[in-house]
Amino acid sequence: MSGEVAAEFPGLRAEWVSCACVDHRCDGGVGERLALLASRLNGRQALELRQQHVPAAYRSFLRQVGIDPDQQPTPIEQAVLGRLLSGGNLPQDRISDGLLLALLETSVPVVAFDAALTSPPIEVRGAADNELVAGVQVEQGTLILTDSRQPLCQLFSPPQPPLAAGANSDRLLLVAIIVPGVSAIVSDEALTIAAAAISGG
Amino acid sequence: MAALLIDQSASSELLPSFALTPNEGAARRALRAQIAQLDRLLSAASCEAFPDRLDLPALPARGPRIQSLGELELLRDSLIGALGDAREALAVREVDRGAARELLEQMLLDPAKHRRVRISQRELGVGGCGVWSVMPRLGPMGRLMGWWRVKLSSGCPLAT
Repeated sequence: MSGEVAAEFPGLRAEWVSCACVDHRCDGGVGERLALLASRLNGRQALELRQQHVPAAYRSFLRQVGIDPDQQPTPIEQAVLGRLLSGGNLPQDRISDGLLLALLETSVPVVAFDAALTSPPIEVRGAADNELVAGVQVEQGTLILTDSRQPLCQLFSPPQPPLAAGANSDRLLLVAIIVPGVSAIVSDEALTIAAAAISGG
Repeated sequence: MAALLIDQSASSELLPSFALTPNEGAARRALRAQIAQLDRLLSAASCEAFPDRLDLPALPARGPRIQSLGELELLRDSLIGALGDAREALAVREVDRGAARELLEQMLLDPAKHRRVRISQRELGVGGCGVWSVMPRLGPMGRLMGWWRVKLSSGCPLAT
C-alpha cells in the first residue's frame, strides 16, 4: 500500500495469485456448487449477512472510505441480492462463476485481470490529480488499484476491458482486496477457491 | 481530612503535558472506530426490523477515498441520526404490535364485540402470513344467532 493509505488503513492490502484458464466454458461442478449455495438462502439470511464478521468488515470499510453500503452494497451483499432477484446463481462463464463461488464461500471479493497486461505487485493508492483510470479521469485522492506500471481500476469497481480478464485471456491475475479486520486465511481461501474453479484444478 | 498540597515552585515543565497540538491521526482512528460501531448497530436495527424495511436516509457519500476529518465527523453524525431514526421506528412498531396483541386478546375474550375485525400475523410481529379474524360460526345462521368466533387463517400456501 502507499504510505498514506497504509497509515490510514492498517491491514488494508491486495493479495494476488495467477492461474491459467484454458477452457472458458462453464464448469459443471462449479455450477452445482453455485446451485447448492443458492438453495440455502432466504431473505432473512440475506439481510443478516451484514452482521457476520467478514461482510461487516467490508461494510464498515466502505463507510470509512465514503461509500454508503446501503446505496452501493458490498460485493457479497450485491451477489446475494442478485441471487434473490434472479432466483438462483445462474452460470455465466468459467471466470465469472469462479469469482462468484469464491465470493459466496468466503465473502471476500476477487477480481480477475488479464495476466498478460498486468504486472504485480498490486497496491492501493490515492489517484493523482487528473489521473486516468481505465480511460476515465478520476478525482484526486480516489482510491485506485494499481500494478507496477499503470492504474487498473477504482477500488471496489469491476475491472474494465482490456485489462479485465475476458474470453481471450489464457492466463489470469486474480486479486483480492483485504480490508482491515479480515484475516489472511480467509483471503487465501478466496483466492484458492477462485483459482481452482477457473483453472479446473 | 484530605489535603491537597500545591508546590508553588513547581515549574511548568513538570506538569503533565497535554496534547496541545492536534493529533489528527488519533482523532481519525477514533472516528473510524465510532463509524464501525455505529454501522454495526445500524445493521442490527435493520435485521431487527425484518420483515419490515427501515427507510434509512441516504448518507453523505463521496468515495472511495480517504475522508477528511470533517467528512468523517459528518458521517459519524449522520449515522447517529440514522440510528436514532431507526430506533424510533422500531419503538413505534413495537407500540403498534403491543396494541395489536391487546386487541387480539380482547377479540378472543369477546368475539361478538369485535365482529369482522382482522389482525394479520405481521401486525403482531409473528412470522407467517396468517390472519386472525372474527367470523360467524355456521355462516349466515351464526350471524343471525350471534355465534361469533375468532379464527386464524392458515395463511398463504406460497409462503411455505
